Amino acid sequence: MSSNPAIAVSNVDQRSRRDARRDALFRRLLKACALLVLAALLGAALSTLWGGREVLFGQGLHFLTSDAWNPVTGDYGALAPVFGTLVTSLIALLLAVPVSFGIALFLTEIAPAWLRGPVSTAIELLASIPSIIYGMWGLFVFVPFMARIEPALSDTLGRIPLLGKLFQGPPLGLGLLTAGIVLAVMVLPFICSVMREVFQTVPVRLKESAYALGSTTWEVVWDIVLPYTRSAVIGGIFLGLGRALGETMAVTFVLGNAYSITSSLLMPGTTISSSIANEFNEAVGTHRSALIALGFLLFVVTFVVLLIARLMLRRLARREGA
Amino acid sequence: MIDSLPSAIDLPPWLQAVAARAGERVLPKLAVRGLDFHYGDAHALKRIDLDIPEKQVTAIIGPSGCGKSTLLRVFNRIYAIYQGLRAEGEVLLDGENILDARYSLNRLRGQVGMVFQKPVPFPMTIFENVAWGIRHHEKLSKAGMSGRVEQALRRAALWDEVKDKLKRSALSLSGGQQQRLCIARAIALAPEVLLLDEPTSALDPIATAKIEQLIEELKGDYTLVIVTHNMQQAARVSDRTAFMYLGEMVECDATEKIFTSPAKKQTEDYITGRFG
Amino acid sequence: MESAIYLRRRAANGLALGLSVCATVLGLLFLAWILWVTLQQGIGAIDWKLFTKITAYGAEGGLANAIVGSLVMDVMALAICAPIGVAAGTFLAEYANRTKLGATIRFLNDILLSAPSIVLGLFVYVIVVLPMSKLTGGAVSFSGFAGAVALALIGLPVIVRTTDEMLQLVPGTLREAALSLGVPQWKLTVQVLMRAATSGIVTGVLLALARLAGETAPLLFTAFGNNFMTAHPFDKMESLPVAIYQYTNDPNPALHAIAWAGALLITLFVLGLSLATRLFLRRHRSPND
Repeated sequence: MSSNPAIAVSNVDQRSRRDARRDALFRRLLKACALLVLAALLGAALSTLWGGREVLFGQGLHFLTSDAWNPVTGDYGALAPVFGTLVTSLIALLLAVPVSFGIALFLTEIAPAWLRGPVSTAIELLASIPSIIYGMWGLFVFVPFMARIEPALSDTLGRIPLLGKLFQGPPLGLGLLTAGIVLAVMVLPFICSVMREVFQTVPVRLKESAYALGSTTWEVVWDIVLPYTRSAVIGGIFLGLGRALGETMAVTFVLGNAYSITSSLLMPGTTISSSIANEFNEAVGTHRSALIALGFLLFVVTFVVLLIARLMLRRLARREGA
Repeated sequence: MIDSLPSAIDLPPWLQAVAARAGERVLPKLAVRGLDFHYGDAHALKRIDLDIPEKQVTAIIGPSGCGKSTLLRVFNRIYAIYQGLRAEGEVLLDGENILDARYSLNRLRGQVGMVFQKPVPFPMTIFENVAWGIRHHEKLSKAGMSGRVEQALRRAALWDEVKDKLKRSALSLSGGQQQRLCIARAIALAPEVLLLDEPTSALDPIATAKIEQLIEELKGDYTLVIVTHNMQQAARVSDRTAFMYLGEMVECDATEKIFTSPAKKQTEDYITGRFG
Repeated sequence: MESAIYLRRRAANGLALGLSVCATVLGLLFLAWILWVTLQQGIGAIDWKLFTKITAYGAEGGLANAIVGSLVMDVMALAICAPIGVAAGTFLAEYANRTKLGATIRFLNDILLSAPSIVLGLFVYVIVVLPMSKLTGGAVSFSGFAGAVALALIGLPVIVRTTDEMLQLVPGTLREAALSLGVPQWKLTVQVLMRAATSGIVTGVLLALARLAGETAPLLFTAFGNNFMTAHPFDKMESLPVAIYQYTNDPNPALHAIAWAGALLITLFVLGLSLATRLFLRRHRSPND
C-alpha cells in the first residue's frame, strides 16, 4: 500500500514500541490497584498496632491477662471482652453449624428442584440484612422473647449438675446466650452457602454408586458426601467463626455491656467489637489506645481464623481441579 | 544427469535472467524451515519444513493432536500470549524470519490475519467489529472508514445481508454470518496471508458452503492457509495439501496428488480412512 | 434380624431428613420474623416528616440529613472503590491469573471480604481522621470523606472478586481474536473484555453497594454523625445506620419508631439490591457452576 516499504515498516515498528510502552504502563497501573488490597490488610494491622501501642507495649502481657477495665485508674485488660467474644461466637457456631448442615442437606438432597432456588435465595437474604437490623430486632423483639423463656431454661437445664451453672441467673433477656443466638442467625447463611456449594461438587458417580448399594439418603450424606467435603466444610465453619468474632452491631444491643466474666450464659457481658463501638467516641488518651489495641487483637485473631478457613476451602477446590 | 547440467555461470545472460525470475516465482510466500515447537516438556512440532506458495490455498490435514493447529498458530505468533510455549527454527514471510523478536507483532499481525474455529464477534456493533481493528493500524477519516468497512464486508460476501443493520450488535447475526464477519474483520487490515483454523467446524452445511465459496474467491488476492479435520473440505478448496502426523510433516504436495496417489503409506491410510 | 437392621436404618434416615426439614423451616422462620417485624414497625412510622425534617428535632424530626448523608457517603465510597476494584480484578484475571502474586492477592482479597468492619473503621480513623485533624489543627477531624473511605474498604473486595470472576468467564477466543488483529493488550482489555463483562462488573458494583450501604460500625468513628443537614465531604456526616443506632440506644420510644422507619428504608434498599443482583448473577453463572 505504501510507496516506500522501508518507511512503512519503520512506522509500524514505532507503533509497536509505543504499544509496548502503553501496555507496560497499563499493567503497572492495574498492579498498583491490586496491591492496594494487600495494603488495606497490612494497613489495618499496622495502624491498629500503632494506635494501640501505648497499651500494647506499655502494659504488655498484663493487657492480655487482666480482666480489669477501669478508665478512672487507667487499668485496662482485654480478658473480659476476649472472653465475651469467644463465648458468644462459640454459642453461635454450636447452634448455626447443625442448622446450616440441615438446610444444606435439605437444599442438595431433599428439596424438589423447584423449591431449591427460592429457599436458597431466602437463606442468602439472611446474609444481606444489615447487622444493625439484627441489632434492633434483637433488642426490641428477641430480648423480651428470651426474658420469657429464660426462667424455663433455668428451671430445666439449670438443674443439671455442672452444666446447670451455665443457665442460672436473673431472666434479663440480655446476655451472652441471647447474643450467641442472634449471631447464630447471622452467620448461618455463610456456613450454609459454603456447605451447599461444596456438597454440589461431590461427583454424581460417587453418590450413585452408594445409592446402588442400597444406601439411604442419610447414609450417602454422612458416609460419602461429608467425608469427601470435610476440609471445605470445616473451612465454611471457620468462615462463619470469622464473621461471628468480628460482628459488632448485632451483639452490641443485646449483650448488656458488662466487663465481667461469668459462668452463666444468661448474664450480661461484652465483646471486643461492642466495647469499641460503645466507648470509642467518649474515650480519650489511654482509654482510646486500649480500644484500638483491642481492635488489633480482634484483627489478628480473625485474620488467623479466616486464613485457616480459606486454606481449608482451597484444599477441596484443588482436589477438584486435579 | 543433474551433474551434467551446465551451471548458472555457463548460461547465457538472457537465460540467467529467466532462471532468476523463475526462482523468484518459486520462492514461497511463507517458508517454514526446521521448525520445532514445545509446550512445556511436550515436543509438539518436530523439525517441520513447509512451503506455502503465494495466492493459493494450502490445506493442512491430519488426525487431531497432530499439531496442525499449533503450526498455524505459529504463523502469526498468537501462541506467544501463553506462557511456556516456544518455537525454534525459521518461518520466513517474504524471506524475513517472523520468529525473530525484532519482527514486530504489529507488523506481523497486520500482514497475517487469522480466523478461528468458532466465530468470535466482539461485543460491539457490526460496523465497529470491522472498524476496530483498522483504527489501530491506520488513521482514517469517517468517510474513509465507512468505505473500508464496506469494502471488507463486500469482500466477505456479507454486505448485502448487513448493510441495513450496521449499528446492530454483531451478536445478533447467525453463526455463519458471524464467521464471515470475522473474515471481513481480518481482511479489513489488508493482510497478505490469511490463516483459517477449522473455520467451518461450528457451522451448518449451508453456512459451510458459503464460507468455502468465499475461500475460492479470496485466493486471487490472499495467500490462504486452512487447517481442517474434514478431508473432503481440503479436497474441495485447496490447491496444495499438507498431511501431518504426530507433530511431523509427512508430506505436502498438490491436493490432487495427495488424494489420488500419495507418496507415503501413512497419508494413504489416513485419506482412505484406514487410520485408527 | 435383617429386617431389624433395615428398620433401624430407615428410622435413622427418616429422623435425619425430618430434622433437616425442621432446620430449613427454622431458618426461614427467622428470616420471616425479622422481616415481618421490620415491615410492621417501620410502615407505621413512615411519613413525610421522615424525608423533610432533620434529626436535630429529635422525636419531632425525621431522617432527612441521615438519608442525604448516607447517599453522599455511599456514592463517594463507590467512586473510590469501583475504579480501584475493577482495575485490581482485571489485573488478577488478565495479568496475574496463574502467577504466585495473583494467587496471593486473590487469597488475601477473600480474607478482606470477611474482615471485621469495625477494625476497618479503626484503620481509617488512624490513617484519615487523625492526620486530617493534625493537618487542619482540629478544624476537620471526623468527616463524610473518612466515612466514605471506610465504606470503600468494605466494597472493594466485593468488586475485585466479581470483576475477576466475570472476566474469567469471557472466552479466551475473544482475546486471541483481538490480539490476532495486532491490537495491544490494554486496548483489548478495556474495549473488548471489559465490555463483554460489563453487566457482570456492574452487578459486582451494585453488590458492593448493597453491602456497604447497611454498614454501621465503621462509620461510628469516621463520619461520626451530625444532627444537621450537610453534603460537604469534610463535615461530620450523619448516616441512616448511625442514626438508627443512636435512636435505638435512646430510651425514648418515639425515637424507636423513627429508627424502625429508617430500618425499613435501609432493609428495602439493601435487600432489593442484593436480591436483584443475586438473581442476575445466578442466571449468568449457571453454565459454569
